[in-house]
Amino acid sequence: MGLEGFEVEVQQVGKPGLETEEMTLNMGPQHPSTHGVLRFVIKADGEVMREAIPDVGYLHRSIEKISEKVGYHGFMPYTDRVDYVAAMFCNQGWGMVCEKLGGIEVPKRGEYCRVIAAELNRISSHLIAVGCMILDIGAMTPFFHAFREREKINDLLEELCGARLTYNYMRIGGVAWDLPPNYAEKVLAFLDQFEPLLDEYNDLITYNKIYVERLANVAVVPAEVAINYNLVGPNLRGSGVQYDVRRDEPYSVYPELEFDIPVGKGEVGTVGDCFDRYIVRMREMKESARILRQCMKQIPDGPVIAKVPRKFKPPAGDAYVRVESARGDMGWYVVSDGSEFPYRTKIRTGSFSAMSIIDWMSRGLMIADLVAVISSLDVIAPEVDR
Amino acid sequence: MNRNGYLRNIKDTCFTVLDGMAVTLSYLVRRPTTIQYPDRMAVRVQDTLPFRYRGILEVDLEICTGCLACERACPIDCIVIDAEKDKQTREMVLTRFDIDMAKCMYCGLCSEPCPTGAIHHTPEFEGADYSLESLVRRFVKEPVKAYKLKKGGEDDPEILEFLDRGMRYVEEFASPEAAPPAPKAAPKGPAA
Amino acid sequence: MQGFLDSLIAQGYFPGIPRNLVYAGGMLVFTVIVVVVFVFLVAGVTTFVERRVWARMQSRIGPNRVGPQGMLQWLADAIKLFLKEDLVPAQADARLFRLAPYIVVLGFLTAFIVIPFGSRLIIADLNVGIVFITAVTSLVVVGILMAGWSSNNKWSLIGGIRAAAQIVSYEIPTGLSIMPIVLLTGTLSMQGIISQQGWAPHTWFVFNNPFTFAAFFIFFTSALAEGNRTPFDLPEADTELVAGFVTEYTGVRYLMFFLAEWGNLYIIGAVVTTLFLGGWQIPPVTSGPVLRAVLEFLTFFVKSYFWVLVAMWIRATLPRVRVDQLMSVCWKYLVPFAFANILGTAVWVVLWPAGNVIVQYLMVLAGLALAWYFFRRVAFHLRRARVRERGELYLSPLA
Repeated sequence: MGLEGFEVEVQQVGKPGLETEEMTLNMGPQHPSTHGVLRFVIKADGEVMREAIPDVGYLHRSIEKISEKVGYHGFMPYTDRVDYVAAMFCNQGWGMVCEKLGGIEVPKRGEYCRVIAAELNRISSHLIAVGCMILDIGAMTPFFHAFREREKINDLLEELCGARLTYNYMRIGGVAWDLPPNYAEKVLAFLDQFEPLLDEYNDLITYNKIYVERLANVAVVPAEVAINYNLVGPNLRGSGVQYDVRRDEPYSVYPELEFDIPVGKGEVGTVGDCFDRYIVRMREMKESARILRQCMKQIPDGPVIAKVPRKFKPPAGDAYVRVESARGDMGWYVVSDGSEFPYRTKIRTGSFSAMSIIDWMSRGLMIADLVAVISSLDVIAPEVDR
Repeated sequence: MNRNGYLRNIKDTCFTVLDGMAVTLSYLVRRPTTIQYPDRMAVRVQDTLPFRYRGILEVDLEICTGCLACERACPIDCIVIDAEKDKQTREMVLTRFDIDMAKCMYCGLCSEPCPTGAIHHTPEFEGADYSLESLVRRFVKEPVKAYKLKKGGEDDPEILEFLDRGMRYVEEFASPEAAPPAPKAAPKGPAA
Repeated sequence: MQGFLDSLIAQGYFPGIPRNLVYAGGMLVFTVIVVVVFVFLVAGVTTFVERRVWARMQSRIGPNRVGPQGMLQWLADAIKLFLKEDLVPAQADARLFRLAPYIVVLGFLTAFIVIPFGSRLIIADLNVGIVFITAVTSLVVVGILMAGWSSNNKWSLIGGIRAAAQIVSYEIPTGLSIMPIVLLTGTLSMQGIISQQGWAPHTWFVFNNPFTFAAFFIFFTSALAEGNRTPFDLPEADTELVAGFVTEYTGVRYLMFFLAEWGNLYIIGAVVTTLFLGGWQIPPVTSGPVLRAVLEFLTFFVKSYFWVLVAMWIRATLPRVRVDQLMSVCWKYLVPFAFANILGTAVWVVLWPAGNVIVQYLMVLAGLALAWYFFRRVAFHLRRARVRERGELYLSPLA
């Protein structure tokens, strides 16, 4: 593939008489620490980077085009693959946009089931984000602890919908399976042992001086820059912007639930550095646990799915829906032409915008910091490329 | 860096490093969570999986009605069914029912509309094999008659066994009216 | 070693052979025994122990299939590496590429000449023992730079340069932390340093005065950095640089680099034990020479291996520091404190030339108090995770 399309002009740097060249490095599609197949062309002056040009597209699977072939119902399993780490949100987004197009209302219990599944998935997605970030910084143990907890969530979701990663739990109009018997006890038992483990995590790694020094004041993203570059989710909240789709454009049953929005405050460095993005994710896990406890108490009885015809033919038009996924505001846009296949689907993901800010952030950082930056932005390759 | 920051750095480093090391040491005396699959396990993993687990697909041809709902529902077109109406007996005959497990994405969309639960997911997940062709599961050996749901309930005990399991699988799926599940011995008809 | 050979000659072995030749031959044989039997075995088993210890800290079981409890895993890994294809990258500088692992191995194997395994179990008790080790382990830098440069791979180059900067910088605190001990003993020879300590903890140099206590921690930290161990394992940072300077190495050459790393770890443990923890000193329980030698060897081995385990424990816990932070830790924190330790020890030696027993006992108590606080913290973590209630307490190291 080489470097076609990238104007790579190697510059002379340094004082006259001591000129050296910039080094062009390829942090290629196969690399132990890029989260998925991402490629960066790095121009570095020794250890300090001058530019980090991202190259995306290695995981493009034309999912949006496939929706035009499989129809509204059949597209639901494909949405799992858009972001397989936080698949419930993608399911929810697709379900919501089809319901908006077709004017279908989801029963209350169905919405609660959706929120329960989504928040469990949020915890497990954040565990991956946090665990992989710590692994990239060099500590191995917290990664395993995070994945051990994620296995427990996987077991819970396996009982709920039968699969551990690509859930296909939700359908247009609600969810496919009701909560199994004794599910509330199991979820609450999990949460009871999970929350002290978050404190243990904090003791082990969060406030560890070496870890803090790696992340504090690194890649500071001020609030206006974050908004200009279209960052969403924990990345945006880490820069101090109080914006959460669940609070600002509420959907589903979030208006009935009480939860806080953790925001980066620059505890150990500046507002908007890598540590803030990390700590926002840690705190969001606690908030998700809180939401889950409320849902388990408040969930009403009733049907979990509305009646939707097998050949779902929404009226012609378009709809846009936002979901607060683990990676931020995920936008789902569908144009319908009245037939049972969508005319055009467009998915707007937070990771794609996060890729664009990496170049801005990495000017002047070191190569070791680039790894911390990518993992603090929680960039997931399938979401970038779809 | 002022003197306070210097000494505080040292103090922070020492305390946080030692605290981290205390956590790691505490894990040394905890039970590891590894499950030593597949040989050092008390129970087969397949027997511990929930009933809803979406493993490899299985078709019970004894209760397949030949409605082709699964073929239509599959988004990947990995189910191929040949069913013709026999001219003399006016009954559906199934001559081919192939599921290509290499294409299947285990989404469960096929088992949802099945009226009897003939096509269902099993807890089996160990499907690895050496050739791609062996992953196509061909369920019809010789042409077989499609099943017709009996009005008064099924009386043949063999078929009843399949039907019970199939209906139990299908009733796990949510239905819009949240009707209580139909009694097992006499299925009234296809679930909504 | 010489004394042992002298006693053998006196008993009538080696008739007619010139004395120097006996010394040379004896040392050679002993070196071979130490290197082949001890070093390779210990380095190999350390890989296995490391994986099991890490695994338990990460709440999983390590390798437990190859051999009873997985104890032959290291052998299987070594055999596998032997059977791998020996690649030299196309554009690489082949001669340097092939030479680099040998220089690294040379750098660490030579240090075993002066490691004192017992009162008479040392290959050569050089009178510059400790400085010899410091000097010889710096050869590793040359090897790593060669490996990084000749691989014709920018990532390896970065790894090699980082390693060179790191090892060379951390030579300074290491050397400076040895100075307090030299001030106390007046000798550089390893057996000399050990013979001035005793078997009881309060006679060990680590508890001699507060300055050597601090020097102990500085020495251990800088020695970890010398050995490219986390938190200072930037040269081989596997999430940043694929594998750093060993990216292009396969098979036996890779094995040699990693042998060097784990062997180096043992040298760190051995030197720490010699300098600070009383080496092979045992209480005078027996006088039979063979039994004494065995007990001394075991004492030394247990003490030095303990520090290998501590290094593994640190690696499992801590993240990696960045290159500039590494440099600032070395030059801004470790070096000034090492200098302060030298000054402090010098003042101490002037004030109390024969040592101050009360302070020694106090230091032992201080050490015990630190350990007590540490284990209380461990118990707190176990209590908070409610390990005993849930029946998750599992003390056995078996799989």
